[in-house]
Amino acid sequence: MSRTAPLLEVEGLTKHFGDVVANDEIDLTVERGEIHGLLGENGAGKSTLMNMLYGLYTPTSGTIRINGEAQTFDSPKDAIDAGIGMVHQHFMLIPRMTVLENIVLGERETAGDTGSGLTGSLKALFARERNAPRQRVQELGAEYGLDVDPDAKVWELDVGEQQRVEILKALYRDIDLLILDEPTAVLTPNESERMFETIRQLVDEGLTVIFITHKLWEIERMTDRVSVLRDGKLIDTVETDSVSQSDLAEKMVGREVLLSVDKDEHPIGEPVLVADNVSAHDDREIPALTGANVTVGTSEIVGIAGVSGNGQRELAETLIGFRSTETGEIRIDGEDLTGAPPRRFVDAGVSFVPEDRYVHGCAPALSIMHNAGLKEYRSELFENGSVRFDYDAMATYAEELVEEFDVRGVTTVRKTPAADLSGGNLQKLILAREMNRDPKLLVANQPTRGVDIGAIENIRNLMLEQRANGTGILLISEDLDELLDLSDRILVLYEGEFVFETTPDQTNKWELGMYMSTGEEPQQSEPPAAITEAE
Amino acid sequence: MIPTVAFKNRETVPTWFAYGAPLLTVIAALLVSAIPLAWLGVNPINIYYEMFISNPTGIRGVSYILVTAVPLFLAGLAVYIPLKAGLWNIGAEGQLFVGAIIGSYLALTFEWPIYVLLPAMIVSGGIVGALYGAIPGYLRAEHNVNEIISSLMLTFTATTFTGYLLRGPMQGGGGQSATERLPDFARLPTVIHPRLHIGVGLIAVVAVLVYLLINRTRLGYEITLIGSNPSAAAQAGISEYRTYITVFVLGGFLAGMAGIIEIAGVHGRLFEGFSPDYGFTAIAVALLGRNGVFRVLLAALFFAVITTGGTTIAVTQNVPTAIINVIVALTILFLLTAEFIKEHRIVINPDRESDPETPSGLEGAS
Repeated sequence: MSRTAPLLEVEGLTKHFGDVVANDEIDLTVERGEIHGLLGENGAGKSTLMNMLYGLYTPTSGTIRINGEAQTFDSPKDAIDAGIGMVHQHFMLIPRMTVLENIVLGERETAGDTGSGLTGSLKALFARERNAPRQRVQELGAEYGLDVDPDAKVWELDVGEQQRVEILKALYRDIDLLILDEPTAVLTPNESERMFETIRQLVDEGLTVIFITHKLWEIERMTDRVSVLRDGKLIDTVETDSVSQSDLAEKMVGREVLLSVDKDEHPIGEPVLVADNVSAHDDREIPALTGANVTVGTSEIVGIAGVSGNGQRELAETLIGFRSTETGEIRIDGEDLTGAPPRRFVDAGVSFVPEDRYVHGCAPALSIMHNAGLKEYRSELFENGSVRFDYDAMATYAEELVEEFDVRGVTTVRKTPAADLSGGNLQKLILAREMNRDPKLLVANQPTRGVDIGAIENIRNLMLEQRANGTGILLISEDLDELLDLSDRILVLYEGEFVFETTPDQTNKWELGMYMSTGEEPQQSEPPAAITEAE
Repeated sequence: MIPTVAFKNRETVPTWFAYGAPLLTVIAALLVSAIPLAWLGVNPINIYYEMFISNPTGIRGVSYILVTAVPLFLAGLAVYIPLKAGLWNIGAEGQLFVGAIIGSYLALTFEWPIYVLLPAMIVSGGIVGALYGAIPGYLRAEHNVNEIISSLMLTFTATTFTGYLLRGPMQGGGGQSATERLPDFARLPTVIHPRLHIGVGLIAVVAVLVYLLINRTRLGYEITLIGSNPSAAAQAGISEYRTYITVFVLGGFLAGMAGIIEIAGVHGRLFEGFSPDYGFTAIAVALLGRNGVFRVLLAALFFAVITTGGTTIAVTQNVPTAIINVIVALTILFLLTAEFIKEHRIVINPDRESDPETPSGLEGAS
């Protein structure tokens, strides 16, 4: 082993899936003790690269060297043995088990020598020293500032704590390199701050971190160096201090990206949506929305901020008639539609972008044509004089949408299934379908989540155009930048109630974040310096 | 190293393979079926010749095949239409029975002219079948009751109720559990061959109508969308409630018609065993033909060829009829495999190290 070799060296790493080249001749060096950012759009190959480093995929060609020694990983276990740990974006914890049980899960550490053979194994099974892991976890927690109660059940923990358990789980296995896959995607701004502190502390204690994200300001704040992936190729690795955010965005997307949107002033008109004291239950019949009041006028974007699971989905679905109200009244353009079926809402000019485009937004197995016509299928557009339903007209309509809204990846609208589109393009198709009918009200739940930065720009501009055309928009988002950029007013939803109303120029991310996570007015009046710096 | 076998999704299916695979698998099924046939001491070639060449080319054989295909196709559609909306109608057999009961009742009660009575029997058979089918449809739509269980249970109710009627109110003379013979003016006329009743013409009419319904109407679009993603469809204003009831009503109507046509066209009286499980074979028919109405028709004809051919050889070649069930079962099994083989490649690796792809395939490229 050579002391001078970098911790991780990747050379010519290539991964093919059939004819698709997911990673093409990647060269990457990660030095000991650095925070190395990995930036790239969805589908750029970040996950493929990390999955090879973590032993989940076998590379087609190329080498991975740890401390100068070439490695072949057949499974994550080999990667962990070589000192690589990974925290996935979606946690891999068992909710019903305790923190400690989750951490030691899969470890076959035994207490002392129990002999070999069947009896030995049996002895090992029962003679496991129960307190050794607990001590170890507590020590690690203290060392890295990851305080979590080892006996708490995982389901009792909030998202930030669960993430700390994931990190502890990795650290417990004695790793040198920790891969964090979009760690802040699920966190509130304030939890993210805490996460950043944790990462700093990990590095101070001698760990090396690969930090995957597509948020540019996080790269700028957190990383020493950053590597940009695009279309499976490593475009560049640079010192973070030497580049600007717009440089990085350009490297990532391959063209110039406007990071801020131009928002014209439009006079706000008559209310198109009036929701008065609306309550609704979630799928388990537990109250999720308790007395929400919201009004949206024409040409107005009302942003709804909140940590996911505070009633956003129920709010959105109630406002389109998909979920029944327990109390309250909903008026669309002056018409009382409380208790009416979704069809009446559609007819009244309500469009909807659901949070999960595959589950609620489209029929993935059906063609682009079937999906494009979904909101207009009852209109005279596809009527053909008689009872006959005109699929030719629908195909033409779909082609127009694809053309006008720049949906890419469509071979033929009749044959290509919606599932074949990338996330961003599918989202564009859904927005096209919902917006092309010039709705009076658009309810958009997380319209840009999990979408590439190029498509995000596109989708935000589409919403602004629609606002200029007079549509009232209810925009539910966890992305505070998006809310601050697009909204005319912002409401914070906390445990099924609106707890705060403001406008973008009267608030900041820190204040919104405090309302989102506590539901109360912030105790301190000044945000910490770190947040102001990030804005 | 232990060799591993992996199934990979095919990206493209060659055209010849898409159409050839079912044929090849049927041949494979027949080759395997040859083993028990040979063991029974008969020559499989003779059997197959009779089943697939000599029987379907004679006028008698064709008549039997077409007549058998009528209930198989109609009941097959009774499964296919709900399946298109994502529901399983396992109760086509029950809907067939209630249609047969009401039709036979009309035939034995009213002395109407044939051109009034026959349409009345067939339509009322359809309507009662539709009402009977509406029950699981309604229970599913309104109360989210599993339609597989409710439709199956209602089948047992219908067959048992038939048994009661045939030993009670509707029992004919002679102490058998069967009705009196239907009068001649309640029988479907035959053409060309004494077994070929004119109900066969319904196959073509119904096939075209259902094809148009599914592929050329707004209702067909709604059914397709609900079947593909009920949540997205419902949010677009398609009523899941209405669609679920509609498909079961349509299916029940066709199965009910099939029931009375079988009585008025083939048997001439209602008795307990008039349907050799047509309503259940219909599930296999619908599954094989699930990609289109005309494929359902092909599947129904195929099953008709095997079953009528089987009955014939049971007589001429002196083999037990059970062997026919073996052949049918093997054929279904092989055909289902064909679907899988069409969409997957089988890759055998002597050693995992050399695996060029991960099992998770393209999903990993994100």
